[in-house]
Amino acid sequence: MEITVELRGDTKILRPAGRLDFESSKVFQARVLDEVSGSAGLCVVDATELSYVSSAGLRAFLVAAREAGRAGGSFSVCCLQPLVAEVFELSGFKQIIPFHDDLEAALNHG
Amino acid sequence: MIRIDNLGKRFGELEVLKGVSTTISKGEVISIIGPSGCGKSTLLRCLNLLEQPTAGRIFVDDVELTQSSDVPALRQRMNMVFQNFNLFAHFTVLENLTLGPVKLLKKSPAEAEERARALLHMVGLADRADHLPHELSGGQKQRVAIARCLAMDPEVMLLDEPTSALDPTMVSEVLAVIRNLAKRGLTMLIVTHEMDFARDVSSRVFYMDEGRIYEEGPPGQIFDHPQRDRTKAFIHRIRTFQAVIDSPNVDIFALHADIGRFCDKHLLPPKAKHNAELLVEELIQILMPDLMAGKALGLTIDYSESKRQLILSLELPPGVGNPLVAEDEFAELSLRLINNLADSTGCETLDSGALKIEIRIKQA
Repeated sequence: MEITVELRGDTKILRPAGRLDFESSKVFQARVLDEVSGSAGLCVVDATELSYVSSAGLRAFLVAAREAGRAGGSFSVCCLQPLVAEVFELSGFKQIIPFHDDLEAALNHG
Repeated sequence: MIRIDNLGKRFGELEVLKGVSTTISKGEVISIIGPSGCGKSTLLRCLNLLEQPTAGRIFVDDVELTQSSDVPALRQRMNMVFQNFNLFAHFTVLENLTLGPVKLLKKSPAEAEERARALLHMVGLADRADHLPHELSGGQKQRVAIARCLAMDPEVMLLDEPTSALDPTMVSEVLAVIRNLAKRGLTMLIVTHEMDFARDVSSRVFYMDEGRIYEEGPPGQIFDHPQRDRTKAFIHRIRTFQAVIDSPNVDIFALHADIGRFCDKHLLPPKAKHNAELLVEELIQILMPDLMAGKALGLTIDYSESKRQLILSLELPPGVGNPLVAEDEFAELSLRLINNLADSTGCETLDSGALKIEIRIKQA
């Protein structure tokens, strides 16, 4: 699981690439928690290059969103591929974590 | 049109063909299927004498080929398309198509070029006439190879695994060209692993095994109601993906890749592949405590072509609970996904006390 981080002012844009299965989601979760812990800014996950997310990946997103909230920051996701977006929808996670169609919308909303 | 009598081919001690006998009528499209090494390609290569048979005889319109001294003339009548295209690398696409007709059929360059351009148009490559082979994709190269074969006006086209060297994304463009030729009534013998294609396009299917045509018949018989044991076993194997998951350290990436390849082989839509991979992972996550306790899970994914249905079955040893019943919050999320990705789910207790889970996977 490759994750790049871009800083734009107070905002961190995380770009994971590949698949979030029960193995790779451990790495993803650890990395995202590093970025959001103690940070009161906005964290956006740009999911353009994320081709697959299982329930393990969903849980990693949930843990990250909760930690961002605890730290006084905010967390959102954008640019989901259609099959991945469907997984978020089926699981009800779209009601829990803010989602945006594109990065600009995510940045403006934050 | 073609009669094969007790054809044999031996390579040293190894007897690959052990008495192949059949007849093929004009206009037939015969798909030849079977396990690797059973002699499919060798049969094809014997038909145009790329291999010299060691026994038996081949007749085309009652003229015996096996005694023929005019091999080029034979190969013009029964021309071959190869797995690896075999285009002339230093000639343009157009030149690849005109060389044979000018040199061997004694056509004028103008006539050969006119026919070549018409064939390139037919295979959808009219705009590639002046390109060199290395500038083409694999699928384009194979379409040129087919056009080159047709430029020789063969009576029979032999195709030896025409899509096996292609990326899955390019297979359909080549199969479309071959389907078109079948509709036009060209007699073809095709060695292929593309079973859906073989079913659609063939008038007859030869299942080869033990060095012979082990069973032959219309596609409906061979694929849906095979009569003989080895045919049944082969058809079952290509329709079925099987894996045993016996460790909590299962390589999920590799398992997903294997499932993906199985789905690609059957030209299933991306959603079907995605759903199959996700369902398997969610079941493994629910059953992880059992895997950690040393239990083994028997996974099967069956593709039913007639019903266009993908069915996942999981056999669980006695003592393992039904994973489709949520016992905690962790399993609840996985189950929510499973139920939404499935057309239906079921659980059955077998006589042995084992549980069998069956999930019909949503494909759209």
